[in-house]
Amino acid sequence: MKSIALFILLLWLLAVIAGRVLGLHGQAVDLSQVLASPSLVHWFGADDLGRDLLARILRGVEVSFVVSVVVTLVSMSIGVTVGLFAGFYGGKVDQVLMQVTDIFLAFPGILLAIAFAAVLGPGIVNLMFALCLTGWVSYARLTRAQTLSLRHRQHVLASASLGATPLRLMRYHILPLLLSILMVEATYSLASIMIAEASLSFLGLGIQAPNASWGAMLRDAVRYMLVAPHYVLLVGASLMSLILAINLGGDHLRDKLDIVSSVHEK
Amino acid sequence: MRFIRLTCVLCFLLLSACQRPVADGAIHFAIAQAPISLDPRYATDAASERVNRLIYQRLVAFDAQSKPVPGMATWQRLSPIHYRFTLQAGLPPFHHGRPVTAVDVVATYQSLLALKDSPHAAEYDNIQRVRLINPLVLDFELKAADSDFPARLMMGILPQDLIEQHHDFAHQPVGSGGFAFYAWQQQLTLQRVSDQQLVTLVEVKDPTVRVLKLMRGEVDLLQGDLPPELVQYLQKQAHLLVKTTKGTNFSYLGLNLQDPLLSQLRVRQAIMHAIDRQAIIKQVMVDQTRLAEVILPPEHYAGHAGLTHASYRPAFSKQLLQSAGITLPLKLVYKTSTDAQRVRLATILQAQMAKAGIDLEIRSLDWGTFFAEIKQGNFQLYGLTWVGVRTPEIYRQVFGSEWMPPQGFNRGRYVDAALDALLGAQDWLAITKRIHAQLPYIPLWYEGQVAVMQKNMSGYAPHADGNWDDLAMIQRSATIAHDAD
Repeated sequence: MKSIALFILLLWLLAVIAGRVLGLHGQAVDLSQVLASPSLVHWFGADDLGRDLLARILRGVEVSFVVSVVVTLVSMSIGVTVGLFAGFYGGKVDQVLMQVTDIFLAFPGILLAIAFAAVLGPGIVNLMFALCLTGWVSYARLTRAQTLSLRHRQHVLASASLGATPLRLMRYHILPLLLSILMVEATYSLASIMIAEASLSFLGLGIQAPNASWGAMLRDAVRYMLVAPHYVLLVGASLMSLILAINLGGDHLRDKLDIVSSVHEK
Repeated sequence: MRFIRLTCVLCFLLLSACQRPVADGAIHFAIAQAPISLDPRYATDAASERVNRLIYQRLVAFDAQSKPVPGMATWQRLSPIHYRFTLQAGLPPFHHGRPVTAVDVVATYQSLLALKDSPHAAEYDNIQRVRLINPLVLDFELKAADSDFPARLMMGILPQDLIEQHHDFAHQPVGSGGFAFYAWQQQLTLQRVSDQQLVTLVEVKDPTVRVLKLMRGEVDLLQGDLPPELVQYLQKQAHLLVKTTKGTNFSYLGLNLQDPLLSQLRVRQAIMHAIDRQAIIKQVMVDQTRLAEVILPPEHYAGHAGLTHASYRPAFSKQLLQSAGITLPLKLVYKTSTDAQRVRLATILQAQMAKAGIDLEIRSLDWGTFFAEIKQGNFQLYGLTWVGVRTPEIYRQVFGSEWMPPQGFNRGRYVDAALDALLGAQDWLAITKRIHAQLPYIPLWYEGQVAVMQKNMSGYAPHADGNWDDLAMIQRSATIAHDAD
């Protein structure tokens, strides 16, 4: 499974690089090629505006990846900060921060993102903002839980007794121990954000025309599934393969970083 | 035993999921949007208007050139502000049995004038009084002269007794048209008065699902709201019949003429020449779509067949923009709804205009937000379609300087004293020439109409304005009909 995941990810990476090198941008409208079937000229066929589908899928994966990485980094930064403070200080700070977190958790994430995207208007920046608003919560919960146990470790107590400030304790003695678990969480988060981005774009709230987005492409493709089934199948298969590869990669990373299970295996 | 019962229930559920709708003999007509109100005094959406045409009769009808002709009544102009209408003999009675008289016509228009919340009230604002002369004759007295007045009397006639009882016409309509209301639960069912044939309107929003239902035989026919690729696909299906006709619904680009850039004629001309309308019509529009130059088509009595078509010349567009002192690229924002076909057209326009040095930014908004912004004048460019326009009065409402929203439809805030003078004189040829030259709208096309039905259906064809009047004649035969169309 690990090798399959790596192979798919590598394939996508190579395809994106090749697309960039060859200058495929997928924006050239050619009305004579509307919904053309796969051919030597258009390997994946053409979309409803005669644009090369392969080029658009490659542009779509770039957009999807950028959105996922940015949203993951921003969400992680916010969530880890909130979780660290809540877990380290405890008491009132913990109560207030966790109640805010619980409020965000009470809403279904995608629904909240849809509501924000609808209020803010469509567009890539607003889309990322909407996803960040709901994405930080899981990091905050995870970080807090880990911090609660880590803050009583001997090395943390020793450093505190030597006069280290709370910020230094969190930065140098707790956060490094959280990184591995956060990385696994981030991997899963990448996949879920990709799906969320596709969902919002499917609803018309995400990436705007003429920019490529898998969600928007799927929405358009469904209209033509009777006349151009290759369109919906290729976009759907692309999305599925990438999400699957990222999730398999996440599983592998978790197994690798899980000290208990790796000790047992030995 | 329990297992057998469970299996039987499961089998029943599976079979019921597979079965076709109950063969009740009704003709099932798939539509994209269900009607909202069947009270003609309140109906504004296209589906309600089309159903109301079937249920109610009107005083006037229109001929092929859209000139008003007698419907329920003939008329005489006694003076510029006084019209007399005489009901025709042998009118069919209301569906609850009462005969139709001038009393009902008077009651209908009086109730409309009394309503404060009717969206149609402003259209009849010029009526001073409606007066009953005798059971067959009534008079309309106007506040100001209006030579096109009979063409405005398109309101369906309601029975006076039910108006007085404040009957719920919106959901249980009673008229005297060719169809009577039968039931409206999940689907609206009408009954043809002449032969008791039931017609059920089945709302299916998604065009692909609508087509699949037609192919499976769950519905008997559908009309319009299909991407051209699906129409071409349906034309290849042996058991289906596709009929197309020229349309009159006018698609255009609206411009904000208060915008410092778009207020310049050369910029508007540059936009006009930056669009390859012929290519769009050929590749992504349904059959029988044709170029448009002004709102009313050439065959309309106020139409103009001699207007030249602007050709696609991106290099010339660039020259025009540069001669207007514009630094290229010219950045413009184009607003449209989230409808897939609208976004598709917007993307094509964006690609075509880029070649003329116009950088078009597309903003697709949900319908409510989009339309509100258009009415508020919060736009540079937008795309819309005028549906079901009959009278040249539309030019006054859309381009007259005194017809700014919310009273009128001059959403582009166009002010042109010369056009105002022509509108006052009702010189329709000169008006269309002026509009064509000044380009307060960028005209696109009149979209073709298409209807698709099972081959055993006959007597139905689409109409230019997309109405469903032929439901009055549609028949299902046991054998497949060989229609010449």
